Amino acid sequence: MEIIETKQDEILIFKLKGRLDSKTSPDFEKKIFDAIEDGATSMIVNFEELDYISSAGLRVILKATKNLKRSDGRFVLCSMKDYVKEVFEISGFDTFLPIVSTMDEALIQS
Amino acid sequence: MAENRLSFELKNRLSELDTLEKKVHGFAGQLGLAEKSNCKINLVLEELFTNIVSYGYSDDSEHQIQFTITHENGSLTIRIEDDGIPFNPADASCPDLECTLEERKIGGLGIHLIKKLMDDVLYQRCGEKNVLILKKDISDL
Repeated sequence: MEIIETKQDEILIFKLKGRLDSKTSPDFEKKIFDAIEDGATSMIVNFEELDYISSAGLRVILKATKNLKRSDGRFVLCSMKDYVKEVFEISGFDTFLPIVSTMDEALIQS
Repeated sequence: MAENRLSFELKNRLSELDTLEKKVHGFAGQLGLAEKSNCKINLVLEELFTNIVSYGYSDDSEHQIQFTITHENGSLTIRIEDDGIPFNPADASCPDLECTLEERKIGGLGIHLIKKLMDDVLYQRCGEKNVLILKKDISDL
C-alpha cells in the first residue's frame, strides 16, 4: 500500500492507494499516530484509490477517531469505492464518522 | 452448471496474505465475478486466516491451513481446516453497533463482517482440527 501525506490549511490529508489489510495497517497506524503526537488535530483520509480494506484497517480508523475526539479534533473520510463504503456501513462506522463523497466536501467539513 | 473448485494451503504466517489474494483473485476471475464480490470473498478469508494465525497456535512451529472454495449452482462454499486450538467463530460475540463512539470496542469486527457477508457459518471440531464451512448465494454477494 502507498500512503501519500499532504497538508492543506492545517488539515493533514492521507491518501491511501492499494490495500489496507492485516499486513499494511501497522504502517498506516504508525503514520496517523505519529501525526497526532506531533499535534495534528484535523485529518482527512482520501480513499479514492483504496481498493480493499479489512477489519485491521477499520481498527486503525476507530483508534484514531477515538484519539482525535479526546483532543477535540476533526476526522473526515472521503471518496470511498463501493466495496470500501459497504464495509464501513456493515461495521456501523458511518454512524459516528463523517463519510463524504468528494475531497471538496471533506475540506468543507474539516 | 459445472462445478468450479479451488484448493490451496497456506502456512500460519501473515506474509501468506499475498498468496491468498492472488488465489482468490484468480478464482473470482474464472467465475466472472465483479471486483466487489472478489473483495468480499477475500475479506472473509483474510479475517478467518488472521484469526487462526494470531490466536490459533500456542507454539511457534509452522502449521498448514487448508482452504477449499467450491462454486456450484450459484452457491459458493468455503471450507477452512486448521489444527489450532478449538475455536468456533459462529459462537464468538459481536460488537454492539448501536453504542456511542466512546463505548465502541476495537475487537470483534472481523467475525461480525464474516457473519454479515455469509449466509451460513457452520463449525465442527473433527479430531484435532477445526473445520469451518461458510456458504453464500453468489447472486447477492
